[in-house]
Amino acid sequence: MSNIVVARRSLMLGGAAVALMPALALAASPDVGKPAPLFTAVDSNGKSWSLAELKGKVVVIETTNHDCPYVRKHYTAKNMQTQQREAAAKGVVWLTSASSATGEEGYVTASQANELTRSRDAAPAAVLLDPQSRIARAYGATVTPHMYIIDASGILVYKGGIDSIPSSDIADIPKAKQYVRIGLGEVLAGKPVSDSSTRAYGCSLKYPRTST
Amino acid sequence: MKRLLPLLLVLFAAGPAFGQTVVQAENVRAELLADVAAVKAGEPFWVGLRQTIRPKWHTYWKNPGESGLPTEIKWTLPAGVTADPIVWPTPNLFNIGGVINYGYQDETVLLVRITPPADLSGSSLKLAAEANWLVCEDVCIPEDGKFELSLPIAAAATPASPVTRAIFDKARRNVPMESPWPARYGVAKSGDPTLIVEARGLKPDTIRDVYFFPAEWGPVASLAKQSAQVTADGIRIPLKKGDAKTTPPERLAGTLVLTEKTADGEIRQAFDVSAKLDPTFVPTSSLAAAAGNEQLSLVQALLFALLGGLILNLMPCVFPVLAMKAAALARLAGQGRREMRRDGLAYTAGVLVSFAVMAAIVVAIRASVGEVSWGFQFQSPVFSLLIAYLFFVVGLNLSGVYEIGGRFAGVGQGLAARGGTVGSFFTGALAVIVATPCTAPFMAAALGFALSQPAPQTVAVLLAVGLGLALPYLLLSITPALQRLMPRPGPWMDRLRQFLAFPMYASAVWMIWVLTQQTGADGVIYALGGMILIAFAVWLLRIGSGASPATWLRRGLAAVAVLLAFAAALKLEDGPATAASASGGAAAGVNFDGWERFSRDRLNQAVAAGKPVFVDFTAAWCITCLVNERVALETAATRHAFEQAGVVKLKGDWTNRDAEITSLLKDLGRAGVPLYLFWAPGAERPKILPQVLTEAMILSELSR
Repeated sequence: MSNIVVARRSLMLGGAAVALMPALALAASPDVGKPAPLFTAVDSNGKSWSLAELKGKVVVIETTNHDCPYVRKHYTAKNMQTQQREAAAKGVVWLTSASSATGEEGYVTASQANELTRSRDAAPAAVLLDPQSRIARAYGATVTPHMYIIDASGILVYKGGIDSIPSSDIADIPKAKQYVRIGLGEVLAGKPVSDSSTRAYGCSLKYPRTST
Repeated sequence: MKRLLPLLLVLFAAGPAFGQTVVQAENVRAELLADVAAVKAGEPFWVGLRQTIRPKWHTYWKNPGESGLPTEIKWTLPAGVTADPIVWPTPNLFNIGGVINYGYQDETVLLVRITPPADLSGSSLKLAAEANWLVCEDVCIPEDGKFELSLPIAAAATPASPVTRAIFDKARRNVPMESPWPARYGVAKSGDPTLIVEARGLKPDTIRDVYFFPAEWGPVASLAKQSAQVTADGIRIPLKKGDAKTTPPERLAGTLVLTEKTADGEIRQAFDVSAKLDPTFVPTSSLAAAAGNEQLSLVQALLFALLGGLILNLMPCVFPVLAMKAAALARLAGQGRREMRRDGLAYTAGVLVSFAVMAAIVVAIRASVGEVSWGFQFQSPVFSLLIAYLFFVVGLNLSGVYEIGGRFAGVGQGLAARGGTVGSFFTGALAVIVATPCTAPFMAAALGFALSQPAPQTVAVLLAVGLGLALPYLLLSITPALQRLMPRPGPWMDRLRQFLAFPMYASAVWMIWVLTQQTGADGVIYALGGMILIAFAVWLLRIGSGASPATWLRRGLAAVAVLLAFAAALKLEDGPATAASASGGAAAGVNFDGWERFSRDRLNQAVAAGKPVFVDFTAAWCITCLVNERVALETAATRHAFEQAGVVKLKGDWTNRDAEITSLLKDLGRAGVPLYLFWAPGAERPKILPQVLTEAMILSELSR
């Protein structure tokens, strides 16, 4: 392809950055129906979370970038917060992963993350700090918000978008099929998730620019 | 917050705008244009949303890739007026920190066809559109705009200004054309699809940067890189399955983009492909797919290559050589361990050196030509013929028609039969030579990987194949425990050897069949005739020995017979050009409908008569030629214009070598096709038209 855009930051590194691109390429996203990739991460309150220790509980992972228009769409409309509360009420562990790399759009410090949770009235079980995009990479996340559901036995049962209408227009939320809400309902009822892999939409996930 | 402010500004700027054709958003200037200045009832026309995008930012294609959203246009049209879906220009690939996007940078024009009803009335037609688009660099901003375009209604449609028409001309040129080739796809057991575009007769070394943009999210993943294999049979692209949890669709749609190297530079071409699911085509080996996804590390490749070399020992091609080796080994069994070890090492060295030589050839060819596909040696009928002879001669030996006593020293077989280290070395070399035909179909994927890598990796992978091939024998020769398992020498060895002649003959027959594919039926005459001569020579040499004049006569005759057999190879040399036409594809590629065949005489005659002359030099393997024909030379408007102007249309087919055309190209300083020449009426010298033609260009040339 002749017209690959090289982002400003990579330009400084010139050819080296381009050469490193393959190394940065995402791992294939894990298959639905297979064990979800394990991870450990520290949240905005300093607490450590390990997916392995959450066995027995249904887990939701939400990649986030508070400056992304698509993330804002769902927070401004309170769609995300409402679903976080519904999930918590059913014993589901909802983990919001701030996976933007250090210095990129959406990168937050622990205190910024807590401030965002407060100002947006959000209710995740935790906001994981993922400044090296490790969780995002393990799950092959390409956008924010990219959503995943992991069942009580640690199997990935859903990956994809938060809902079915890819737009930044808040007015579309009520018209859209809320995949995550429906999927969680099915998982908790012991049924297979009917739409288990959907198209995620949003801003591209801000991975680290150079591989180190 | 700093991101929000410009967004608000955009909303504010776009909000009250009404009745305008241009919207200046923060990152995109968008303009609604029409290719007509006045519309006529019932006559469709085109409008375009032209996006001028901030440098380094991009908007999205219909399938945005792993993130992003396509531009949307919502129309508000008077009753009876219809707007078709957006016709998307060919996308580009953007790799944003590992996230793959498909879209446009700098400038793009999204075309939409508008059809007014036959009973359109009033003085003007008002088209209102609300468009929204996402524009991203490393951050993404949704933008939108409202547009209104008012066009007068007239008794006849009038074209827009030349500037606007040029924009539309360029935009149309950027739209992929319908693929002229059939396409199909198959799904491997892993679920990964492989696309095959049956573009026969292409010149692989002129084509690069092949990429298939899937038309929608779901069946195919958006890959950073695809390793398409281009051969004279077509284009094969191993893909990776997408995330949709559905069965493979009946048809896989997308846009195939490639860059063709022509005499005057490189031209990017795009084709809309709709590949039919072919359930009988199950792409084998995860290797092919893995190589396509650059997931195959060098270590893996080496491992697979080693394994491939091991398995090669079981292929019929190598079998007879191994039998020879086993016999030699059995003979050695009585001797010391040191001899055996030396023998095994020499054999291994012979195999490895042969592979190293092959690797060196491959690297050298690639350095000079730029691209090489495995099995390239089989494109040469001479090679096929020589290999067929070799199989035949080895077969004769195994059958016991002649024994080797150093009499044929100089022939590889003779060297191989020599005792000791040198003999073992050449047995190794012989094993590689006879194994080559087996490697081509069997290890295409691993070798494909090897060939796509830088030189050190290519050499390493090929050497690994060699090591695999030599390994069983090497182990046997250095492990006494294994040697004890060897059966004792005996008459069975002779019988086995004689039996093994038959797979050799079968291999020779297969090579002759390959030859007929390359040269047509004539190849059989030369090959079989050559074999008779060789058999004759062998017989001559067998009878009697000593230095009597009769023996010398026989030797002389044998030499003549062998020379004649090899002369058959020379006879084949001028075959390859006709080879492609014999297989049917290439000849059918050039269509002479409505054109006269080019000849200098006809050209000179027409020019002397003062007639306008258009000459099209084309070739079946030239994609750009084909595209030009479709979009510029064979459209209804162009045909009509040619006819009106009384143009003499000549077409030169350069698919096969053609001295007359080559000399004319040379006169004009050209190295190849496409080449378009136009002599205006009475002109002495032709005008050389650009390599990329548009209908408008031809029409303006004719009306000048």
